[in-house]
Amino acid sequence: MNAIASVRDALTRNMRQSGILIAFVAIVVLFAALNDSFLSPGNLTNLVLQYSYILILAIGMVMVIIAGQIDLSVGSVVALSGAVSAAVVIREGMPWWAGVAAALLVGLLVGIWQGFWVAYVGIPGFIVTLAGMLLFRGLTFLVLDNRSLSPFGGTYYDIANGFLNGWLGGYGYDVFTLVIFGIAVVGYAVSQWRSRQGKIAYQQSVESLPMFALKLVVVAAVVMWFGYQLSTSRGLPVVLIILAVLIIAYTLVTQKSVFGRHIYAVGGNRHAAELSGVSVRKINFWVFVNMGVLASVAGVVFSSRMNGAQPSAGEMFELDAIAACFIGGASTTGGIGRVGGAMIGGLIMAVMSNGMQLMGVPQSMQQVIKGLVLLLAVAFDIWNKKRAAVAR
Amino acid sequence: MMPPAPHRTPLLALHEVSKYFGAVEALVGVDLEVHAHEVVALVGDNGAGKSTLAQVVAGVLSTDAGQIEIDGEPVTLGSASAANRLGVASVFQDLAVCENLDVTANLFLGRELRNRVGLLHEGEMEVQTRELLERLTVRIPSVRTTLRQLSAGQRQAVAIARTLIGNPRIVVLDEPTAALSVAQTGEVLTHIQRLREMGLGVILISHNLNDVRAVADRIEVLRHGRNNGSFPATASHESILAAITGAA
Repeated sequence: MNAIASVRDALTRNMRQSGILIAFVAIVVLFAALNDSFLSPGNLTNLVLQYSYILILAIGMVMVIIAGQIDLSVGSVVALSGAVSAAVVIREGMPWWAGVAAALLVGLLVGIWQGFWVAYVGIPGFIVTLAGMLLFRGLTFLVLDNRSLSPFGGTYYDIANGFLNGWLGGYGYDVFTLVIFGIAVVGYAVSQWRSRQGKIAYQQSVESLPMFALKLVVVAAVVMWFGYQLSTSRGLPVVLIILAVLIIAYTLVTQKSVFGRHIYAVGGNRHAAELSGVSVRKINFWVFVNMGVLASVAGVVFSSRMNGAQPSAGEMFELDAIAACFIGGASTTGGIGRVGGAMIGGLIMAVMSNGMQLMGVPQSMQQVIKGLVLLLAVAFDIWNKKRAAVAR
Repeated sequence: MMPPAPHRTPLLALHEVSKYFGAVEALVGVDLEVHAHEVVALVGDNGAGKSTLAQVVAGVLSTDAGQIEIDGEPVTLGSASAANRLGVASVFQDLAVCENLDVTANLFLGRELRNRVGLLHEGEMEVQTRELLERLTVRIPSVRTTLRQLSAGQRQAVAIARTLIGNPRIVVLDEPTAALSVAQTGEVLTHIQRLREMGLGVILISHNLNDVRAVADRIEVLRHGRNNGSFPATASHESILAAITGAA
């Protein structure tokens, strides 16, 4: 294979991933051009706060989808975990961490319940979680006795609405926020450099040094610019830290761990995975347990943001999370998808909602546009696959 | 190729093995021996029990009667992984690979190497993958190519290379050339010869007598789940065909 062919090969393979990134940048540029306040510090902060729970759900959802399943119950699990947390903190007057613990326990139990039916009874995830969607919504109504519970206040409220700032001073900008972003950029650069050195040591192919440096500089510039914008507004949102930790951890789990590799294998060819000694049941079970726990994390963040629990909380969240995954390049047949892709897919949805709201686009039109974007993204995926098949 | 001396203990020996699916007799009292450095071909008509026998050896199916010995020791091949631990590796028709994973990931699937912190040791796995593919003389653009982008022949080569992870002594190949072009078939047969040179015992299941005669040391015929003749590779096409169809 000559150099040109290998470049073409790399492009074809990465087209879905890079295509979605280009689309994201284009959408951001479009809204920035249409609306002055879109890239303002206040609005960027708002974006993070407003869509963090969808992104948290999308992390778990993309793993479920890679395994070849789907989870329709996450919206109801968000509601139920938030409701239990509210009952513990508001009704029983217990401390904030007891509410968080109770919510996470709910998520764990939900995950075990659904994982059991999918993995050990063999009911498709679609059916189990469709039942779960009704079941956990009903339980939410029971827990809340059909009424809203509010307010949480205090530390619990700060989970989704709090900021870290002022610790290192600064005039008009928060130094602490900038320091954290600086550490993140340096950490990213170091890890990229080490992985590159490791690849060279094992004679793996790597991008050329100028390309590598360019990539680092672009990423660093974008991240630091974003950090600066936040620092001139209200500082570092707590929920952004939660989100960043989850994204890094789950990128590692999906790309670098044996468990992650096996999720891809089960979604790609269940039978081959089984013959290779992968326990398909265990993988399915843990994927759903993981989804349940992440849904409860989203439930904590959402109830904190709403400063209370409502019986109808989290409705349609499952669809936003699923859409984020498919826009982000996950395959409907399983085996393909990335946490990073799902995050960009979720951000595309978030940026579009936020941008259209700023411009005063009516809710009805927003739904139409988001629906079309989802359709086009998956159509592009299918077209891309067919083209690759012909090229072979 | 040296003919197996009678006093040598075979790597794998099946004695009077039977398998029933309800009232259907899939295998009835089948005997089979495989030595190191030997390619044994299993041939027979559709439904003769070839694949059933392969799955028994691979540990996927349990037997209803009979004995299986490895190195002269009676063993139970309870599952595919149990068979694997005893040194039996298998490639099944169409089912052996994950098309969404790359070559390295497929080779090490279920037996991934981990680094000090318990994550995947990609570098080491790639090095071993390259070595293995070289030994088998498999030509693939990169060990990071996803299987979806490979030809059917290359995928089969990956499936065969896969079996060599974990140093097996017996390799079972179920119709490895069934869906391949002439050129690709030739390459796969070369890989099989490499397996023999490495000192493995190979069970090759095939419909294609030409393929079988090109590479096998011994040809065992199954008919209606029973042994129906054992032939050297030099036996005439007609005599083997007669044993397969029962026209003799």
